[in-house]
Amino acid sequence: MKMQRVGIGIIAVFLIGIGIFAQTMIQNEQRIRAQDIQQKGNYLVSLIALHPMEDFHSSKRDFIAKTLAQYVTSDGLVYCIVHDQNGTPLLSMARRDVAAKIPQAVEEKSLYVNGYIQQTYTMDGTKDVINEFAKAIFEDGQRSGTVRMGFNLPPITILSPQRVKLMAIMSFFAFSIAVLVYYGITLALRPLQEVNQNFRNFCIESIPESTVPVKNGGVHDMITDLEQSVIQLRSKYEKIHTENINLSTKCGVIAFEKNNVFNIIDSINYGIIVTDIQDNITYINSYMLNLLEEKEDNVIDRPLGEVLGHDEITAFILQQEALNKSNKISYIEASFPELAADEFFQVSLSYLIGKEEDFLGKVISFKNITSEKSSEKAKHEFITHITHELLTPLTTINSYNEMLMEDEIENIEMQKEFYNTISEETNRLTRLVKTLLNISKIEMGSLSLNKGIVKSDWLFNDCLTTVEGAAQKKKITIEKNLPDNFPSLFGDKELLKLGIINILGNAVKYTPENGHIKFTLTDKDEVAVFEVIDSGYGIAKEDLPHVFDKFFRSADPRVTDQSGSGLGLALTSEIIRLHNGEIEVTSKLDEGSHFTIRLPKEEYYLGKQ
Amino acid sequence: MENNRRILVIDDEAHIRRVIELKFKNQGYRVTTATNGEEGLDIIETEQPDVVITDIMMPKMDGKTLCERANELKKKRPFLTIVMTCRISPTEQEWIDELQDTVFVEKPFSLSTILKCVDQYFGNQ
Repeated sequence: MKMQRVGIGIIAVFLIGIGIFAQTMIQNEQRIRAQDIQQKGNYLVSLIALHPMEDFHSSKRDFIAKTLAQYVTSDGLVYCIVHDQNGTPLLSMARRDVAAKIPQAVEEKSLYVNGYIQQTYTMDGTKDVINEFAKAIFEDGQRSGTVRMGFNLPPITILSPQRVKLMAIMSFFAFSIAVLVYYGITLALRPLQEVNQNFRNFCIESIPESTVPVKNGGVHDMITDLEQSVIQLRSKYEKIHTENINLSTKCGVIAFEKNNVFNIIDSINYGIIVTDIQDNITYINSYMLNLLEEKEDNVIDRPLGEVLGHDEITAFILQQEALNKSNKISYIEASFPELAADEFFQVSLSYLIGKEEDFLGKVISFKNITSEKSSEKAKHEFITHITHELLTPLTTINSYNEMLMEDEIENIEMQKEFYNTISEETNRLTRLVKTLLNISKIEMGSLSLNKGIVKSDWLFNDCLTTVEGAAQKKKITIEKNLPDNFPSLFGDKELLKLGIINILGNAVKYTPENGHIKFTLTDKDEVAVFEVIDSGYGIAKEDLPHVFDKFFRSADPRVTDQSGSGLGLALTSEIIRLHNGEIEVTSKLDEGSHFTIRLPKEEYYLGKQ
Repeated sequence: MENNRRILVIDDEAHIRRVIELKFKNQGYRVTTATNGEEGLDIIETEQPDVVITDIMMPKMDGKTLCERANELKKKRPFLTIVMTCRISPTEQEWIDELQDTVFVEKPFSLSTILKCVDQYFGNQ
């Protein structure tokens, strides 16, 4: 229906076009005829006005009349009248009754004109429009007459055969052009049809193609489809734009999270390197860059083996690769002597596996295990040392007992000495085991203090008696300084004794023969102060902060030459701490050490607690 | 029952030096003692003992260093080394095995074990 309306419209426009064209042609023809008549009239009237008046009386009158007669019949000349100076017609060439139909006013105006005049009028009693041309005839400077000529502008017939023929040709050409243009447009729009179809497929993905009717009827359908597609495209664009904004937001969040993850990875005490499937580095964290003394730009996209320059690690990775590519983490221990001397790393290899179980690359992590290794070494050394310390008295006891049992010692005095040695070594063993137990209990928090009032003079003298024998053997003099009043303490007397003996015993142990030890007890305000000042080997400045650390033993050969567990001062420090006391040490190498123990007096003990 | 075999006992523990010395003297051996590895090595070079009984953990020079240095001397004159060990380190066995004429006794040992070891060494010669 719509198509029909469009067809009718096109035909109407076409007909109107033809009408306008015909009208234009008629107007144009009229204009040309008018011009032609004007030229002809002007010419003829001027030509006749050149004749002297006598020509109209003489033999020439017939010649002029004949000539004009031709124009009258063929070229629209209606009349030609020559008047004398009085207005009397001398010659009149006109169709019958014409002269009588000329209005009087026209005639008078023409007769009185001195030059040339053109007038247009409608002939009386008819609808004919006449153009009259008049010109005065002059002879010897005197007006001798007037020539008047009337021309009829013949009506133009619209449907003249010539015009109909022209219009038919024009219509044929117009129709042909229209048909050609139509097919040309259809042909040109064929790619557009495909574009349209593509648009349709692109825009309506959710609708199966078969359910969407594709009209191939014409340009209108095509444009309609295209319009729909553009609407859908716009809708799709808006949807995509919204999705794009959402995606941008998500991308921003992901980028933020990614940065967070990288910051976390950068802040951990692990070296991380990630490679692609070609073993080129795709990520390296700050820890690893610092270790390798490299910059990120110099490392990214370079082969792992080239960057690490570590044959052991490269071999390890190749070996693991040869085994399998499971996600199981395996590791080796390695070091970088040129980059980080004395540091050890546990190098682990794992694989990046995608969702499709595909291999994406490798992750190589470097854990600094120097402290673990050091702690393991210290632990091993401690166990070795303690085992030696435990087994040595046991060996003595065992072998002395064996000698006695096998009656290899006949001398009674020697037998007594052997029994004494067994007893001493048993005590030594007991002390060591007790120290270990105490340390263990303190560490576990299970040490129960057998608290009571401890008289400081008793504590002082008991400690002194214990070490006096060893001091005498080394000819070390012990100077005693005691207060007038002995303050009472509150605590575990055996543990306090053990703590102070450790200090005094060390003083004896690490003071050379003929040395001097000052053992002082002072009563000061709230505390009783025990001081042990020796003239021994002293403690090196770098060792001083560690003397109360468990298992610590100085590397000074004068210390290592002596047997010791490295537990004594650690135990003393813990005992003093358990009694709310303080212990400190000052020392100078080769000059001696000064240990100070401050223990709260009985009356202040609870207040300090 | 006096014989000319010379035994060197190296230990920083006086009680152990004493008891080993007594045991071997009772068996007729000539016994010399040293308190550390450094002193022991000097005696090995000067007195050329037939058997060296040594502890491992000692001041100045430990038993391992002593054994390694002594191993060089064994190329000129072989002798038996008995190492008294606590057998803590798994590597201890390894380095002892690598040395010539070196055996170990585990603490706490029996004196008769060491004696048997020495007698066996001389008996096999």
